[in-house]
Amino acid sequence: MKVLIVDDSNSIAMVVGQMLKTAGYEVERAKDGKDAINVIKENSNIEVVLLDWNMPEMDGLEFLQYNLEHKIVNGPIIMMTTENKPEKIMKALENGASEYIMKPFTQDVLITKIESVTTGGE
Amino acid sequence: MSSHEIKNEVYKFFADIVFAKTGIFYPEKDYYRLDSRINNLMEKYSFETSDELYHAYKNSKTADMETYLIDICTNNETYFFRDTKPFDALAKDMIPAIQAQYPHETINIWSCASSTGQEPLSIIMSIFENLGSATRFTFDATDISTKALSKAKSGLYTGLDVQRGLPIQLLMKYFEQKEDNEWQAKSEILSKVNYSSFNLFTGPFVPEKYHVIFCRNVLIYQDTENKVEILHKLAKTLKPGGFLILGAGESLIGTKTDLAQKSLQNSMVFQRPNETSTAA
Repeated sequence: MKVLIVDDSNSIAMVVGQMLKTAGYEVERAKDGKDAINVIKENSNIEVVLLDWNMPEMDGLEFLQYNLEHKIVNGPIIMMTTENKPEKIMKALENGASEYIMKPFTQDVLITKIESVTTGGE
Repeated sequence: MSSHEIKNEVYKFFADIVFAKTGIFYPEKDYYRLDSRINNLMEKYSFETSDELYHAYKNSKTADMETYLIDICTNNETYFFRDTKPFDALAKDMIPAIQAQYPHETINIWSCASSTGQEPLSIIMSIFENLGSATRFTFDATDISTKALSKAKSGLYTGLDVQRGLPIQLLMKYFEQKEDNEWQAKSEILSKVNYSSFNLFTGPFVPEKYHVIFCRNVLIYQDTENKVEILHKLAKTLKPGGFLILGAGESLIGTKTDLAQKSLQNSMVFQRPNETSTAA
């Protein structure tokens, strides 16, 4: 299963990418929402998107709203961010996020959240 | 933390105490698993060596020392909706079956090793989500560890706790954010749980009190003799037609109870027959 990490931080993308690879996932990376649109166009087999909130070009919420309109993601979008206020979380859910990972988190949180939205937690 | 050699006599002493108090069995080949616990006790009560701790514990232990030992020897590993399937099975199959058999009774549920409270709250959220918050039930949750019970009663969880197994939608619905990224279970779920201290090894067990008992990932730490004894007591504590839920992978093999094994929502559960009493 291929996962797209959308995060402007190289170090976070690297650590999360490593967590995913050790769990058997394939990984693509985009540095912001705008970049993610291009990466998704070139990779039709992306099944899950991990989306940071605060990014320079197009932020996570703007990407969610873009996707609501253009339906470019074929699969669940999981927010992965330091934004942990309930208002923000609700905003992301209302705009199409399926799950929400608050930084900091551990590998088991990352993997179980992905599994819960891709297999219904089975 | 000390890394000195711990004598076999010291290992045996603490292994025997833990066994006597909790039924958790450390065979000699697993004595190394007591290392961190013994070191933890030494640090907490400021002893330089395990020998000093051993002599002090043997000759002048305090109730506090014993409580602390039990706390650090019981495994409190838990998370929300652990294994997921039993929660579906409860809400979708077991409770409707019990409601049909006991239409005028309030359903009594017991989580007998509730640790830090994730299991009871998961059960309650599952009932609310599937059957509605008007469902009539009582909920007893017990544990031997006072430390675990204290956290469970507070209903306060870290940002990491609430990300382990708990869907974000349920976090938003049933928890409130506190300072420092801690999350407080709302009163509507927390107040449903009646928490108390209980030792599965010593009881007391009230006959035919519960319609449903959750006893997950407890018996794996017991030796066969204790496992059989506890299972027989739990079976008698169930009402006829009531259900026992063990951990994934735990079975009744070799325990000679007359509980019937059933698969509900792909989850293995055990039901007390209606027509016969449980084996003594």
